This record gives sequence, structure tokens and C-alpha cells, in this order.
Amino acid sequence: MDKTLIIGLGNPILTDDGVGVKVAREIERRIDLKAHPELTITEASVGGLRLMEAVLDYQRVVLIDAYYLDPDTTTPGRIHRLDLDDLRAVSPTQHSTSAHDTSLVTALDAAQKMGYTVPSAFMIYAVEVENILEFSETPTPAVAAAIPQVADMIIDELSLTPL
Amino acid sequence: MERITIDPITRLEGHGKIEIFLNEDGNVKNAYLQIPELRGFEQFSIGRPAEEMPRITNRICGVCPEAHHMAATKALDALFDIEPSSAVKKLRELFYSSFYVTDHTVHFYALGGPDFVLGPDSNPAERNILGVIHKVGVDIGIQVIECRKRNHEVIKMLGGRGVHPVAGLPGGWSKSMTKEEHELILEYAQQNIDFALFSLKIFDDIVLANQAYVDLIVSDAFTHQTYYMGMVDDENQINFYDGLIRVTGPDGKELVKYPAEDYAKHIAERVEPWSYLKFPYLKDVGWKGFVDGPESGVYCATPLSRLNAADGMATPKAQEHFERFYETLGSKKTNGRYAPVHHRLATHWARLIELLYAAERMQELAQDPEITDQNVRPVVTSTPTEGVGCVEAPRGTLTHHYKTDENGILTDVNLVVGTTNNNAPIAMSIKKAAEGLIKNGVVNEGLLNQVEMAFRNYDPCMSCATHSLPGQMPLEIQILDKDGNLVETLSQYID
Repeated sequence: MDKTLIIGLGNPILTDDGVGVKVAREIERRIDLKAHPELTITEASVGGLRLMEAVLDYQRVVLIDAYYLDPDTTTPGRIHRLDLDDLRAVSPTQHSTSAHDTSLVTALDAAQKMGYTVPSAFMIYAVEVENILEFSETPTPAVAAAIPQVADMIIDELSLTPL
Repeated sequence: MERITIDPITRLEGHGKIEIFLNEDGNVKNAYLQIPELRGFEQFSIGRPAEEMPRITNRICGVCPEAHHMAATKALDALFDIEPSSAVKKLRELFYSSFYVTDHTVHFYALGGPDFVLGPDSNPAERNILGVIHKVGVDIGIQVIECRKRNHEVIKMLGGRGVHPVAGLPGGWSKSMTKEEHELILEYAQQNIDFALFSLKIFDDIVLANQAYVDLIVSDAFTHQTYYMGMVDDENQINFYDGLIRVTGPDGKELVKYPAEDYAKHIAERVEPWSYLKFPYLKDVGWKGFVDGPESGVYCATPLSRLNAADGMATPKAQEHFERFYETLGSKKTNGRYAPVHHRLATHWARLIELLYAAERMQELAQDPEITDQNVRPVVTSTPTEGVGCVEAPRGTLTHHYKTDENGILTDVNLVVGTTNNNAPIAMSIKKAAEGLIKNGVVNEGLLNQVEMAFRNYDPCMSCATHSLPGQMPLEIQILDKDGNLVETLSQYID
């Protein structure tokens, strides 16, 4: 079985920013971890190089992140299923890159060039968010409602055994 | 008034932008970096037990959680009035030195370095770590990754968790070192020293051996005469973990040296109507605007600042490079101190000297017999009231200040984060870079690159004062005429 990492990105004390972390925790609560020795579930608020380093040992990686768009056009709670090519193109999610670092895509390209084996499959779940500038442990209602839905989608896509 | 806006985020709202205001002649009047501010941290913290702060504040920022963790832990020492044992201090400083090695490494190889390694005029799309690897070889990339990997292992080992450490306790540290861990750390420390020396060699070969780059470093466009802040030990040598805050002037003379808890006596924050950012300045000198010189209270807190504010480095190899740095850049020594280097681009070199110091310091501490002491969890007995904790974060002096009731429940929280110290100098550097390239309303196409280099050397942490930026940083300059009409847009991506 492919060694798989589910990684929830974001800051769990910054209102909607931690939506990825909360989805990861939800999955962890709902599935039978013993049935999936190949699976690791974790959380982080890092981007670029540090994120690349975290995923190197895995064949399959699921990233869950907040997606912050223009407040005039966004629909908070809307869920996107992206792949690495989407990140390469135009739609970077909140934590897949950082101004302090390089982007995840560049970091993965660099790793590959240096001879590291990078994951062969990336599944990226991005949730449109409303508030990422205020400290709170509670997401806004639409984003909170998306959390169990994203968890369902990932459990489904990876065929994980529920508890 | 004509106004130019450099907006680093065009597709995604709510992030930083640079605005350049022109006067009636079409020349630069002022320039500012605007960063959106995270709101409500104080309210979030008030009512919580103070001892949660090392774990909460390390969530503020995904870039340097270790620095917040350490400043918070030191604030708890003061709050609960418990002096850590020397073994605790050494263990914390070893952890912190390892963090510095990773942080300074990523800045040089992924961010600041590419400007030099690939050249300031190179294609911005290639000015990243991938470009560096392409230019100097795959082996170097592997060394960078290996360096980060081993130090993240140390951070996890000693901090109790990978990214957001949890080991800090009032007066203590929850995780002591096993024999096996100790042996590994000794091995890693030596590898870090070798890596730092190797990085300085790259700087020598690529930057210092190229007269055009040296000319750029010492050019007036990237030079500012300000005050400098940094933490120093009893010998006035740099220390990242503990000591007194020393401030020296543009002439190199010491203005003041104070314990962290006195910060409010020496630092005030200027508020401007056009920005929600605060601009800290030296109270002892006063606010004279965004200007250079001994009469202006603007100060800088960066790797360059720390070198300038200190008399030297506490480790031998870093000291050799410190001397070479000042000699090479033409600084003279008077009364045992080098005159400060004011060239902002020299910050990249200073950062590598600090990298070497952190690696050497890590080795010294790892070799100390006390470092494996298992007795690192003291019992707290006093009633908390108020405490200030301070460390040198990679991006500047970081201060946490907490007040509590008699049960240790927070009633007041104030943080002065690293980058905030540099808000005024960053604005000045952007202005100067723009001045050289905007004349009488004509904008030179090199503006984007120069502005980028001007603020990048400060390594401004937008995710700390604010939030990690999404995506690549599209840098956009909007030029507006004096009536506010858009006449031209320039943009490029910063990766």
C-alpha cells in the first residue's frame, strides 16, 4: 500500500485559516487508524521548503488548506479539489507557499532535481475562507459547515475505513 | 500628488503592498510598505493561563515559531520570578542555535542569495532556490536540504514537537537530552560549522570576487545611517538567547544598554494616519520622520544591526569573519570597536556570519558537561504578576510582555515582533531605491528589481506581524498621475 500523508495546513487559532488542520483532526477522529498502517495524519502551518521536506517520504499526499480569494467574488465554504498543476498555474492556496520561503512547486522541482523521490500523487483540497486576519478558534459558519464535507470527500477518495 | 502603488498581491486581497508617492515634479516624495495586520491577539490571550503562551504564541507565525516559543518561555521566567538553572539556559540556547542555523540557511539560499548568485538583473522567475541549484550545482542543494533536515531533527528532539515546539516551562525545559541524542547533536553541530564555512566560501567566490556586486553593496542607493539594536552578553558580544539590549549610533557609539523589561522606557511607537503599522523609534533620540542620521530616532534590528551593535562574536571562527567583514568594507577600528557598516545589502553577509556563530555556539553548548543534566523541571512557587521576555529573532529583537492576576490568568499582553522594529528603515530603503530610478515622472524599468532587493535584505516577516502570504508574490507597481489616474503598470513575480 502506498505510504500516504494527510496534512492539514494552517493556523488553528486564526478563525478560518486553520480549516485544513480541523479537517485533518476530523478525519483522525472518524477513521479506524489501525486499519491503515500506511497512513499518517498531521498538521502544520508551513509552506515551501519546509512543506516539501515534510512530504518527501510519502508516495501519496493529501494537502488541505484555506483558499483566500477576492471578498467580492468568493463563496466561503466552497470546496475545490486541485492538483499540483493547479498550484503551478494560478491558484496558490494559503499555505502552499510563503513569502519567506519558496513555493511548494519550486521546492518540489528543486528536490526532484537533487535526486530526491517526490510523492507521485498530490490531492489538494482547498476551502474558500472568509476571515483569516482575526484570532479565534472558531471558524465562520460556512467554513465550519465545510469541514465534515471535506473529511467525507477525503475518506471517500482514499477509501478509508470508518470507525 | 502623484502616487505609485506596488501591490505584491493582485489576485488575492488583503496583503501587503508598496506605495510610492511622487511630488509635483514627478520625483519620489515618500514610500511605504503596507502590511495587513492580524487583529485581536490580545483579546484572544486575555483570560487564558499564562503558561499556555509558549504554545499559543508559537502559532502566530509559521516562519519562526521557535523564536516566539522562546520569548514566551522567558517571559514566563520573569512572570513567575524563577531564574532558570544554567543547565536549563544552555539547553534552551542549544535548541535556539539549531533553529538559527535552519532559518538563516533558508534565507540565504532561497531568498536573499539568489539576487547575488544569479544577479540582480536576472529573470525573477529563475531567482529562487532552483536557479541557485542550477547555477552552483545540485550538491549544494542537497547540502542545504540535509542541513535543514538535521536541525529540524534537533528542534523536534529538544522542543518536543516538529514545527511548533512545546518544551518551554517557567524556569525550565520539559525535555532533557538522552545520551544517544547528545552524540547525534555533537555530530550535527560539527556538520553545521562545516556548512556555514562552506556558505561563506560561496559568498566569497560569487559575491566578493565580483567587483560589480561589491560596488552594488557599497553603493549609496542601499546605504542608510541609522541606529542599530542587538542583544549582547557581558563582553558586548552577540547573543541570540539572552543578555542586554544594546543600541549604538550611526557613529558607532553606544547610546544605551538596557535589560529587556525596560523596553518601554526606550522604545516608543509612532502611528501614521496612512498605515495601521506602528513605527518604533528610540525615545532617547526622538522621532524626526523617516530620515537618516544621529538626530533621527529610527533604528534597525537585523543581522547587520546585531553585528554593528556588538563589539564582536563570542566564537572564534565567527570572530575571524566578523573582522574580515569590517576590514573588507573599509571600516576602521577605534577604541576596540569597528565603525558600523551602513550598507544594507551587507546584511546578507552578516547573516552568514551569524549562521557560523550559531553553529559554533551549538557545538560549544553541546560540549558543555552540564548539557545532559536531567534536572531541568523546577517547581514554581511564587505568585505571578508581570513579566517581559526577549530574544533576538532572526528578523530582529522580539519582546513578549505579559501581566496576570494572582492566579496566573492573563490580563494584558503586548508583543513587539522582529520585523516591526524595521518598519521605518524598510520604508526608507524602498524610498531610496525608488528615488534612484524615478526621475521627473520617468520610471526606469529596473525599479521592481531594486525595490525587491531593498526590502528583501531585511527579510521582512509579513506572516509574523501579519500572516503568511499566499502564493508567489506578484510585485506590481502602479503609476498614477497627480490626479490619481493610472498611467502605467509594471509587474513581476517574486518566488
